[in-house]
Amino acid sequence: MLCYTYDGSFDGLLTAIYEVYYRGEDPKKIKSIEGLEQNFLDTYVHISTDYEKSRKVYNSIEKKISRDALENVYCVYLADREEDKDTYIYEYLKFGWKAGSKVDSYLSDDRVLRVHAIKRRVDREVHRMMGFTRFSLLEGNVYYAPIEPDNNILPLLAPHFSKRLPDQNWVIHDLGRRIAAVYNTREWMIADAALLGEIPRTDAREETYRQLWKQFYSNVSIRERFNPSLHRRLLPERYWRHLTEKW
Amino acid sequence: MPEALCFSNKVEGWCDLDTLDKLSILAEGAKYDVSCVSSGSSRKNTPGGLGSGYAAGFCHSFTTDGRCISLLKVLMSNDCVYDCAYCVNRVSNDFPRATFTPGELVDITINFYRRNYIEGLFLSSAVYKNPNYTMELFIRVLKMLREEYRFNGYIHVKAIPGADNALVEQAGLYADRMSVNIELPSNDSLKLLAPQKNKEKILGPMGFISTKISENKEDIVKYKKKQYFVPAGQSTQVIVGATPHRDINILKLSEALYKRYKLKRVFYSAYIPVSNHPALPAIEKPPLLREHRLYQADWLLRFYGFSADELLSDSRPDLDEQLDPKCDWALRNLHLFPVEVNRCDYETLLRVPGIGVISAKRILTARRVSSLDFDDLRKLGVVLKRAQYFITCKGKYYKGIIMDDAFIRQNLVRENMMQAMKSGNMAEEYRQVSFFSNGYDYGYDYGYGYGYGHGRGHGLAGAGDFGFRGLNIQDRDFRKSLAGIGMNTGMSMNMGMGLVQGPGMDIALNIGGMNGVNMGMITAEEKMKSITGEL
Repeated sequence: MLCYTYDGSFDGLLTAIYEVYYRGEDPKKIKSIEGLEQNFLDTYVHISTDYEKSRKVYNSIEKKISRDALENVYCVYLADREEDKDTYIYEYLKFGWKAGSKVDSYLSDDRVLRVHAIKRRVDREVHRMMGFTRFSLLEGNVYYAPIEPDNNILPLLAPHFSKRLPDQNWVIHDLGRRIAAVYNTREWMIADAALLGEIPRTDAREETYRQLWKQFYSNVSIRERFNPSLHRRLLPERYWRHLTEKW
Repeated sequence: MPEALCFSNKVEGWCDLDTLDKLSILAEGAKYDVSCVSSGSSRKNTPGGLGSGYAAGFCHSFTTDGRCISLLKVLMSNDCVYDCAYCVNRVSNDFPRATFTPGELVDITINFYRRNYIEGLFLSSAVYKNPNYTMELFIRVLKMLREEYRFNGYIHVKAIPGADNALVEQAGLYADRMSVNIELPSNDSLKLLAPQKNKEKILGPMGFISTKISENKEDIVKYKKKQYFVPAGQSTQVIVGATPHRDINILKLSEALYKRYKLKRVFYSAYIPVSNHPALPAIEKPPLLREHRLYQADWLLRFYGFSADELLSDSRPDLDEQLDPKCDWALRNLHLFPVEVNRCDYETLLRVPGIGVISAKRILTARRVSSLDFDDLRKLGVVLKRAQYFITCKGKYYKGIIMDDAFIRQNLVRENMMQAMKSGNMAEEYRQVSFFSNGYDYGYDYGYGYGYGHGRGHGLAGAGDFGFRGLNIQDRDFRKSLAGIGMNTGMSMNMGMGLVQGPGMDIALNIGGMNGVNMGMITAEEKMKSITGEL
């Protein structure tokens, strides 16, 4: 079975899709080369990223399908733990170029359904993390937030926090992916976390507000309504590690 | 402790408590206000300012009782001059009192916001000294936040009943949302339990705010640039279960508030005993299931085009505890069903149990490009277990459906319970309701209580189910869960019918045993005894 591989970047993925049409081949799968376990039965063709080609596909999605479709594709691309997401994107786009702007109306078509389902999952996590991200003030006047999301959502979180906390320096550090969004009160960028160097110690004032927050948290629960299973469903345990109020 | 937190306020006389103690006292006092919504306002960040609103709001954390924490919800003061029987802060209650200074509260708010702990501030208060004085304190906090710190986060502030309109108006110019709590749904109950309040004191500011909001909306259209007045609208709260009011009284009140005062939300708060005033009921547990049903009915009023009169009447003054209000309504109006999913309009779709606002919209979208069958509906997120009785797809019924009230009701009740148990919501209450409802239900309900208690036990649940549904009609999931114990069908028939007598009990235990849930057998036995004992 023919399988295209790409370097893991969004441009790489779009280039691979370009090549499908350019070469007139019909690969059954597209996969990122990162962490790929090669299968004995499949034939792998690596596509090297070409910005021009990627741009063409990008524009074509936007013009010939829709802006929404482009957003769907990008969000699904961010779901990097979803093993077959690239193939899903490919199938969705193939159908999209046939169906045109109406593609997202085919809500019961599996090719559309899969993409929508993953998109919803990514959206939900972005929304959650916009609430669950916790900053600590470090020495040197930087607010630092470690996160470990299921999806690669930094590119969606950073613009939000740049609008919300525009006058403070902040870093959001995705521990699992070893990347960080860095903001300097003017603009943000995503960089390799190794560039952060050693994380400074927390500021002397930090502990006061942590204490206050924890105190507040423990005071707002109503004992008579205690409902741990509901609590865990709304605030899954995997997020607790970085929630100040759960320390 | 940093300097900002340390200044004590000599004017207001509270310098003996440190901020941590104050916060804990004043958060404790505010927590019974159930509203913690930060939605409805999309205040933009201003140049050089801090924060931004977001129309849908965010939850920043959740309490251990499963409520969203979005705002720093505190009282300005719990030092009240009023003596409302239902309230912890009443003057006659002997417990620690505290009052924030505006500076302290602003410092906490800003620093919490910078750490992304909160979406903004929810400021309430006991009536400290007098209503106007309290309102003025609020304004000082709001002004400091908005003007000095250029804070653009969300602010919800209470209008204190009895305060001057001018002060309410001033606060409204800084706030995103305002609310006045009704608490007790009639003037008589106010007289009895909150002697210093009356209908006029509560509805007065509510009417005033509502007029101002609509004036402000017109002004903004007319003069383009003008300060917003309470852009996220106003809300209120009603306590459920502290007075003998029926659901119909409460729901009618809400309906009137939505219509007349254009309220954004009415919150319902299950009464939790905080005093043993002789006029208050002595209850062991807050009526959470009732609260839940009221919220469901409230949603039907706001988003589904229902009126209170359709849901309740004088002869049926309370919402059904076993069934959600929409299913209940649909069952009483079976003559309106089934509806054809591929043709009927949006309003009709919304009235079908199992179809919500989102799935109704998806149906509209999807049926434009292809006609839908039951399998498609499931993919669109329709809860077929509920919807199946009320719809046709391309003129066809769902397989095995019998249009019979009792049959549908039984299945819907079960589905309601399954839903609640899966979500961890209200499980306990459901269990209680189901155990002590009526004799006819036992076989079936019993199965469920048990199933939940051990996190599995579908077998038994399904068995009870068979008793009612007969052998031919089972939904597919259940057939699956029963695979391998097909021989139970016969016995479970017995169980449904003869539960109250000895044999039913034996069979129930057998089934439990066959599923290998030994722990369950003990509970099952005890529970069974308690049921048969009751009878």
